[in-house]
Amino acid sequence: MTTPSSTLPTSPPTLRVSLFAGLAAAAGSRQLNLPWWGGTAADVKAAVAAAVPAAATLVATSAVAMGNRYVASDAPIPAAADVAVIPPVSGG
Amino acid sequence: MAGSSCLLVHIPLDGQQLLAAVASPAAGANVLFLGTTRGITDGVETVELEYEAHEPMAVAALESLRAEAMQRFALTGCRIEHRLGVVGVGEASVAIATSAPHRREAFAAAEWLMERIKADVPIWKCEVTADGSRAWVHPDTTPGAEP
Repeated sequence: MTTPSSTLPTSPPTLRVSLFAGLAAAAGSRQLNLPWWGGTAADVKAAVAAAVPAAATLVATSAVAMGNRYVASDAPIPAAADVAVIPPVSGG
Repeated sequence: MAGSSCLLVHIPLDGQQLLAAVASPAAGANVLFLGTTRGITDGVETVELEYEAHEPMAVAALESLRAEAMQRFALTGCRIEHRLGVVGVGEASVAIATSAPHRREAFAAAEWLMERIKADVPIWKCEVTADGSRAWVHPDTTPGAEP
């Protein structure tokens, strides 16, 4: 089934942002849905920090991943993308 | 050899099974590293660690590191498993088995893999201490800085 591509959305597209570990604990959720018209990975971090002020410090040292790969801070993140904010890791 | 070479598991790790999986007639050195939950860190008693991961990304990252280690250290075998969920004191959270014709490469590969896992693979530990407090461990280093 296809959706006509000419249909304009009536509300901003949603960016689904997965959160982990201390970020998820600070947000009280493993996923944030943010209104998103597009921007860079750095913009994603700014939007998450604004939505979860308690996690701002941790977001600053986090990476952004899209499609299961880390992306650079100036990488474009399209509307309706699925991204993850990856806080500093501590496996092992 | 059964199963994938890099796994995230929710059951206790079996180091002997990893060693058996990397064994081959070409190997003259077989190294098994187990990272275990330490009961005391800086005077604070840890009762358990709880691990979580970005699972698809962590598996892909482990596979990529394994492939790089196989080539960089000319290994004859390599297997990596990381446990998720609650890991009690003394139990293993990570297991790495490497095999190579000679010991230098097998030791070096295991250490290199641990350093890279701790720096880049999206897995996190939460420390649960004796007073019941929980704290996610986040170092100061941004992951993925070195692609």
